[in-house]
Formats: sequence, C-alpha cells, structure tokens
Amino acid sequence: MKLQLTKDKTIEIKFPSGGAKSVSDITGVELSSPGEGECPAIRLVHRKKAWHVAASGFVKPPDGELPMRWEDTPHQPTWEFPRDFASPHAALAINSPMATFAQSTADAVIQDMTTGLAAQQDDRQPGGDKSSSDGKRRFGIKREQSTQPAPKPAAKQEPSARKPAFPSSGTPVSENGRRFVVRPMAEENFHLCASLPEFQTLWLSRLLPEGKRPTASSIQVAESALMASILLQPEFIAADGNALAIFARPDATYLAGYKKGEPVLWRRCPGVGGILAMRDAVRKTLGLDEELVDSVLNESLIDPRPALEPFVRPILSQLSLSLDYLSGRHGLKFDHAFLMGVDAGASHWSRYAEESLHLRLVSPNPFDGLALDKGVDAGDASRHLIALGAAIAGAEVSA
Amino acid sequence: MKASSFHLNLLRQNEVLSSSPVRLRIMLPVGATLACAGLLVWWGVLFTQIILAKTQAQGIEDDLTAKNSAHAEAIQKRDLARELKLQLEQLEYYKSGVRSIGEPLAKFAEVVPLRVQLKEMSITPPKPQVLMPPGLKIPLFGPTENVETQKLVIAGLTTKETPVVSLMESLENGFEKLVTSEHHINSFKQDNAEIDGRKLLSFEVEYTMPERRFAK
Repeated sequence: MKLQLTKDKTIEIKFPSGGAKSVSDITGVELSSPGEGECPAIRLVHRKKAWHVAASGFVKPPDGELPMRWEDTPHQPTWEFPRDFASPHAALAINSPMATFAQSTADAVIQDMTTGLAAQQDDRQPGGDKSSSDGKRRFGIKREQSTQPAPKPAAKQEPSARKPAFPSSGTPVSENGRRFVVRPMAEENFHLCASLPEFQTLWLSRLLPEGKRPTASSIQVAESALMASILLQPEFIAADGNALAIFARPDATYLAGYKKGEPVLWRRCPGVGGILAMRDAVRKTLGLDEELVDSVLNESLIDPRPALEPFVRPILSQLSLSLDYLSGRHGLKFDHAFLMGVDAGASHWSRYAEESLHLRLVSPNPFDGLALDKGVDAGDASRHLIALGAAIAGAEVSA
Repeated sequence: MKASSFHLNLLRQNEVLSSSPVRLRIMLPVGATLACAGLLVWWGVLFTQIILAKTQAQGIEDDLTAKNSAHAEAIQKRDLARELKLQLEQLEYYKSGVRSIGEPLAKFAEVVPLRVQLKEMSITPPKPQVLMPPGLKIPLFGPTENVETQKLVIAGLTTKETPVVSLMESLENGFEKLVTSEHHINSFKQDNAEIDGRKLLSFEVEYTMPERRFAK
C-alpha cells in the first residue's frame, strides 16, 4: 500500500503478500497444453514433513483464449477451480507460442530484452508459431552460442537507445513489451531466462480472481516448470541432484542437466518433434489406428523399431553430445538418465539408448517421492508433469 | 537442492492477489475505522464517566462544605452552650459564695460596749485573682481558687482595755457568719484624742472572716 504524504514524499507499506515463499498448499496448473482440451492440475500439500498429492486431475479451461495481441487483453475471463483444487495459491505454467525459455548468457539476455518488442511483433505475424521462427526461438544452447546481434527491426520498430539493465535473480522485469525473469545456472556465465509478452502475463495474473481460492502466486513458462518436475524424484535425490533428463512433450523434446540440484543444461533437441510426432510416425509407418499405438508401444507383439528408431536416434545423438558436455565440462558421469513424459514405449527408448550409448533410461512415475492422498490416481501422472513442476517450483520445495 | 533455482516466476509481488475472502485493502480501512470508532466510543464513555465523577465529586464537595459549615455552627453552638453552662456554673459558684453579713452587722451594734467608739470597720480586699492566665484568650468568669479568705479589721477608740475585751468576747458567740475565733490585735496604744480630759486608747483588731467558698 502506497501512501502519498506530500507531493514528493511517498511511503510504501508492505503487507504479507501471500507470495510463493513458505507455501505449503499449492495447485499447479498447465494452461494451453498442446493436445489437451482441459488443463492438467495437481494440488500439493506439505503435511507431516512430506509433500502429498492432495488432488490430481483436469480442470475446465478458462472461458477465453490466451490473448495473442494487446488488443485482446480487455477480454479478461475469470477462472474458478473445483473444490479439490481450491488451495490458497496456484502456480500457472503457460504454453504460449510467444513465450521463451532459454539457457542464455547475460549478453544474450540483454539482447533479448533490447529486442523484445521486435521479437514480440514478429511473433504476432500470422503463422509465427514457436517452431517456425528459428532466429527468435531461444531454446537450447544453439541460441546462446550465436553471438551475432539479432536482426535489427525496421526503423519504426527501433527500441529505445537505453540499454536494459540485467535483472537481478528471480525478479521479473518488463522491457520492450515483454516480461523477463532470470536465474543463474550452475554453469558459469549462464542463466536460465524466461520471458512472456507483458499482455499475456497481465492476462494470466488477473485470471484467478481475488478473494477466491486459489489465486496466482506464480506464473511460469511450461518449459521452466518441466525442468523442476523431477526435483522430488527419489532417484534424483539419491544421486545428490546430479542427473540428465529427457523431457518429451507433445510438440518437442528437451534435454536437461542438473548438477547438485542446480540447473546446468537446458536445450531443445533440434529437428526433433515431440510425442505427437512419435505417435504419428508409429501410426503411419506401421499402418495403425491411433487407438492401437499405445498397445504396440507397450507390448512386444509388434516390434516398433522401424517406426520408433528414426525418431529416437536424433534424440540419442543429442543425448550423447550432452553426456560428453557434462562429462568434459563438469565431470559428471551418468549410467542412467531420466526419461520423462513418455507414457508408452519408454522401454524401447531405453533399449536403443543402451545399445548406442550404454546408458539406461529410467522412466519413473512423476509422482514418485510424493505421498498420494486417497483417491489420487497415479496412472495418468505423466500428463501432469508440467503442472507438478509448476507446483514444485511455485512452492520452492527444498529436498 | 532447492526448487527456488528453477522458479522463474514472471508474476510480480505487487500482482499477487490474496485468496482470502477477507481483502486486506478493504478490511484494513474498515478495521481502522472500526478501531477509531471504538476508540471514540471508549473515549466518549470515559469522558462521560469523568464528567459524572466530577459532578458527583462536586456534589459531595458542596455537601461536605454545607455539612462543614453546619458542623462548625453546631460546634460553635455546643461551645457556646458549654461556655454558658460554665458561666452559669460560675454564677452558681458566686451564688454559693455570697457572704451574708448584713444580719451579723445589725446584731454587731448591739454588742458594742459603751466605752468603745468604732472608727472603722473594714474588710480587706480579697487577693487579686489572675482571671487571664497566659495562653487564654478569653478571661475566666470566676475566681481561680475556690476558697477566698478575707479579714475584718475593727478599729476604734476606747477608754480602757476592758470594753475591747468585752467586745471581742461578744464576737465569739453568735457572729460565726462574720468572724471566726482567729483574730489578731494589730495595735492597742495611747491615742492623742481626749474625752473629758481623759486620754483615749486606739485599738485595731483584725479578725479572720469565715472562708468564702465558691462551690456548689
């Protein structure tokens, strides 16, 4: 609350804000999940020194689309959750084609902040989705290695001459119509940087109305939440936070490296689609109906190798590169890696990895390490990976 | 391992809304107003109580003043009554102390021998009494001593001793109210006066009068 004492003198009184610190009851929700009509949601409650999954399921999406233009933001819907998910806080993980999440150097972050408006306007072009705009997409190391300045926008789009200041860790800043937040990585000179158009952030921040449970205490991009989703895995904790993970999403596949529980690597596998592409390949190559894909991938009656291997090989190549990088740069040796988000055919992935990399891929249930309350179904857990990660990060869980 | 390293929260702290149905930004002014109103009421009650207490105190003070004056008046009257009583008592004392010597004096003429000429009969004035002792504001109404003794001095001329002795013997009986038996002959000597060529003798006898008692 700000009180203006005189014309020049204003004092600010800070009340307990209900922020993400010391949150013990939080609902993680994934919005605009590709291929999902409803929004995966999970409620985490810290009880008796353990985190419990109090509820898991899907909630009806808000009555309105995520705006893609400033002009759409006046159409602000409000969103209410079922009683099971009525925790005090909510962590929203958003899948937005205009969102960015990258491992960046400070210079690259400044560059992104400087050209934020131009990048946003490029994103607003028709068909400007995440996969099509190669130069503006910032996933993976490739982006950071490119030190050349971003293409200058047209003269009328020239951002201000002022150079944005590098934001302090964890503090969101707005520059050129986008909101940025950075966190340092265990990798020297590298930061995780997430950004979202300002109007989308504002739209999300007003989505859950005040005075009703829950209200948003955290807004994250989906990739950021994904990275946090394995932090409570027993195997991850047993390995002292040193891990390599493959996150398969419907539209993309990512590799993440962890060193003593800190992020050390994040990259998107270039030229590789996600689970939807894999299923499409299996379906087309083997001539199956969609309903049979899961059966083929989980059972051994039909060998899916001809369809699956061409999809998995490029991922394993990137995994090999990442292994070499983590070994050479950080001295991290792995005999296994996490494979998350693959609910069918994970055994085939592991077999191919063992054949080529002598690396075992483990696919734990995302809810491992969490106590399940009565009525919670762990069978559908992989679809809640991002919601879980959002809740874990939003609660700032310490393992 | 802390998930905070992975928490890239795009939401600003000032955008975080409270999920509590009780909204701080509404309840704070309402609470402050209620607190102010409560304080005002409390102050009002306190002020009223103070006013009432003051009024009561003033009433008690006035009553006390009135009672004080009445009390003082009563005390004054009581003192006056006591004083008057004392005066009456003193008067009673005086009444008791009245010396009735008229009858003995009338009788005295009968017992005076022919050869005696009385020149003087006087009663010595009583010893002056201190009616205003130190520290007393009002003089005493009566004598400080209850007993007063006076002398009756009888002086006269005679031709010889015998008539005087006769007179003194006569005074021993029937004149108890006037004199006691205690007497003293102050003088008995030749006088210059003559009668029939005969020198006269002057005498002066001092009798102690009965005690005058100021008592009931």
